[in-house]
Amino acid sequence: MDRRGFLALALTVPVMPALAQTAPPAPPTIAANGINGGERGLSAFLAIAPDGSVTVFTTTTELGQGTHTGHAMIVADELGVPMASVRVTVAQPEPALRLMPNGPVAEMYTGASFGNRIWEPRLRRAAAAARTVLVQAASERLNAPADSLRLVDGRVVHAATDRAVPIGELVADARRLPLPETPALKPAAERTVPRREMRTDIPAKTRGAATYGVDVRLEGMLFAVAVLPQVFGAELDGHDPAPALAVPGVTHVVPIPRGLAVVATSTWAAMKGAEALPVRWKATAHDVLDSAGVSRALHAGLARPEAQRPKNDGDWEAAKAAAAQVVSATYEVPYLAHAPMEVENATVRLSGDRAEIWAPTQHQDWMIRDVAQALGIAPANVTLNTTMAGGGFGRRLLVEVAVQAAHAARATGRPVQMVWRREDEFAQGYWRPAFAARMEAALDAQGRVTGFFLRGAGPSVMFDYRPALFRNPAFVDPFALQSVTDTRYRFGGAFRAEYARVDLPPKVWLWRSVGSSQYGFFVESFLDEVARAANKDPLALRRELLAHDARALLVLNTAAEKAGWGTPPPAGRHRGIAYMEAYGSLCAQVAEVSVERGEVTVHKVTVAYDAGSYVNVNTVESQIEGSVVWGLSAAMGEKMTLKDGRAVERNFDAYPIQRMRGTPVVEAHLITSGQPMGGVGEPAVPPVAPAICNAIFAATGKRVRSLPLADADLRA
Amino acid sequence: MVQLTVNGESRQVDAPAAMPLLWALRDVLNLTGTKYGCGIAQCGACTVHVDGTAVRACQTSLGDVAGRAVTTIEGLHPEGAHPLQQAWVAHQVPQCGFCQSGQIMGAAALLKDTPRPTEAQVEEAMAGHICRCGTYGRIKAAILDAAQRGA
Repeated sequence: MDRRGFLALALTVPVMPALAQTAPPAPPTIAANGINGGERGLSAFLAIAPDGSVTVFTTTTELGQGTHTGHAMIVADELGVPMASVRVTVAQPEPALRLMPNGPVAEMYTGASFGNRIWEPRLRRAAAAARTVLVQAASERLNAPADSLRLVDGRVVHAATDRAVPIGELVADARRLPLPETPALKPAAERTVPRREMRTDIPAKTRGAATYGVDVRLEGMLFAVAVLPQVFGAELDGHDPAPALAVPGVTHVVPIPRGLAVVATSTWAAMKGAEALPVRWKATAHDVLDSAGVSRALHAGLARPEAQRPKNDGDWEAAKAAAAQVVSATYEVPYLAHAPMEVENATVRLSGDRAEIWAPTQHQDWMIRDVAQALGIAPANVTLNTTMAGGGFGRRLLVEVAVQAAHAARATGRPVQMVWRREDEFAQGYWRPAFAARMEAALDAQGRVTGFFLRGAGPSVMFDYRPALFRNPAFVDPFALQSVTDTRYRFGGAFRAEYARVDLPPKVWLWRSVGSSQYGFFVESFLDEVARAANKDPLALRRELLAHDARALLVLNTAAEKAGWGTPPPAGRHRGIAYMEAYGSLCAQVAEVSVERGEVTVHKVTVAYDAGSYVNVNTVESQIEGSVVWGLSAAMGEKMTLKDGRAVERNFDAYPIQRMRGTPVVEAHLITSGQPMGGVGEPAVPPVAPAICNAIFAATGKRVRSLPLADADLRA
Repeated sequence: MVQLTVNGESRQVDAPAAMPLLWALRDVLNLTGTKYGCGIAQCGACTVHVDGTAVRACQTSLGDVAGRAVTTIEGLHPEGAHPLQQAWVAHQVPQCGFCQSGQIMGAAALLKDTPRPTEAQVEEAMAGHICRCGTYGRIKAAILDAAQRGA
């Protein structure tokens, strides 16, 4: 790459890696007068009621990752109040609650496993600032120096005179004091976080009492079902509303972006109306696209002369030429669906030039922006109530369902709950891209790695959701080589990583662990091949490549040791190991697998995990367990197949999600390195598939280079 | 108009007999604890009890349950303290939680018929339930634990 190209990259790349890899640069203000707190607010982050109860305005949607409990723990700890007095609610977006208030991503949303790694320091600072002004207010009230007071259990206490003031009585005075931007934080020794805490959202979820988006019920509300094309990008050609309107309960058929809405007095009537509605879609250029065509396009991307090359250390060509042995292989993965249990939905109520939304969204700012734009009103006139979400996994960063609901609400003059049918959720839900990679490793005569080459080819996730960034042709989608360009492995000096963008009609999107989801399988399976070629134990090879990095070695060694690597596995079982870093957390896994008559059983997955530090250990373990099942499910059977431009898999009968039987024991070992906090929701996904496939190789001698395993013939 | 008993209360439901019980519960009776996941009895999110037996409410019409007793997650226990609900909290089972009403109703039907199930019986009984968050290990542990305590 020439120097100008390099500079352009240097300027643009930090925009998104800040999300994917590291904390953003400048800490934002905690904002003294947030819109969320009203008269009781003590910053954008929290408010205190007269009875002393604390409301935390969180930036994160509760998708099941447990950050609402985590954020309550952080505030309760730093402020000095009991957990029971803290309530967490999702905020309306305001500057201090956006990822980068003054940066390129001034947006409030939930993603990139940043619920705690980004927000823990900011929440702690906001709570400390609130504590500081509450203590100051008490100091004036009690006529005692501030440093003689402590905020304990919701009261500011003056121990010497045995006096105390509940914080609820101090808020009005405290609000008149300037909030310190850099308040003194509780010393580590006095903190109660990290710990194991019972999640606050769980009791309601066992009683059917949690309110998800689809559970919102408003006075006079109608139920709508979206009618969408089966081919991505197909436009409406015509329809006849009469048969739908003849279905009892159906009240309207109205146009919405991407299709039509059938509106009715119940979801069922809307569904029946949608089934009865004759719709014609215009032909597209890709009405004949099938999965074989997708695969051909990916392989063409691998073979194409030109590609972006964001990593080019040392001299790969020379390393390859001098190698005693070159190992090479090509890998491929299919499109995947998120398939959260709660389908896409949003409820919108209009009143004059104002709109109110109820939705389980991951992206508050985009939803408000897009609904305001669709209605031609100011974003400030849109109120968004973020509900509990029935899973997210990245899917709910897409906000179009709220725009569709807004169109239907305007057309009908009634509040409308817009719901997608499961079939559309699969067929039109935006997928994890299909992807391919070609890799080569140069080895010297002693079997040492002297160089590594990788070319990834596939659609760009970010091109579909931040197209503006691509006006600069030098911009590289940071997810396109996620966990590759920034790997801790040292490949003997020569390391080239390339990306060939392949544009295909299906829309692609962020899917739990994003680019790392495919590169875990690609790189970690291939390293197993390299180890075999070099006649080395797969663990030993990885130790060599990480010999300079004590932190990564500890993670790798912990997984190996806890799994009994090097000792004989139980009869009939075989082990495979994999390691990857994503979102600031390091994860190694050992899978214990048996293969009988071609059938794979994963018995146990041992996980070593270093997120630096933690908030709620309970949630961390749950997320790791869930990530392993997620990765296992994708590896074993998941794929979205295209035929005649359409998705073949349209419900759970065709898209096999992992069930209870066959779910392995997951043993998580957490390492606290004290490094900056990493993410928890995603980084345990990428190592799962390669750990399993490497174990399959140990069991059968068969190397799996494409997923899912259901399509592989593993019979002896 | 269809008459049935829901969570111990006699109800007249003003909806067509062909409407699936799922939507009658959710959209007519506002009992939203029972969830839509797939509409084809493949995920288990809509599981309720009809006369004590677990059924998929998306494939059971309102007419099918006329005069019968339907129990939803809201009516499983008056205080929401069924041994399974307690075990679900103790084992910190739910993540997103969307499937868990159905999981609990499925498990409750299992324990009613098979108070001390083996692990294999639990897997068999719960095979029709999907949890996209992958909480299966905890679900299984919670069911076995509740069974131990004599649910």
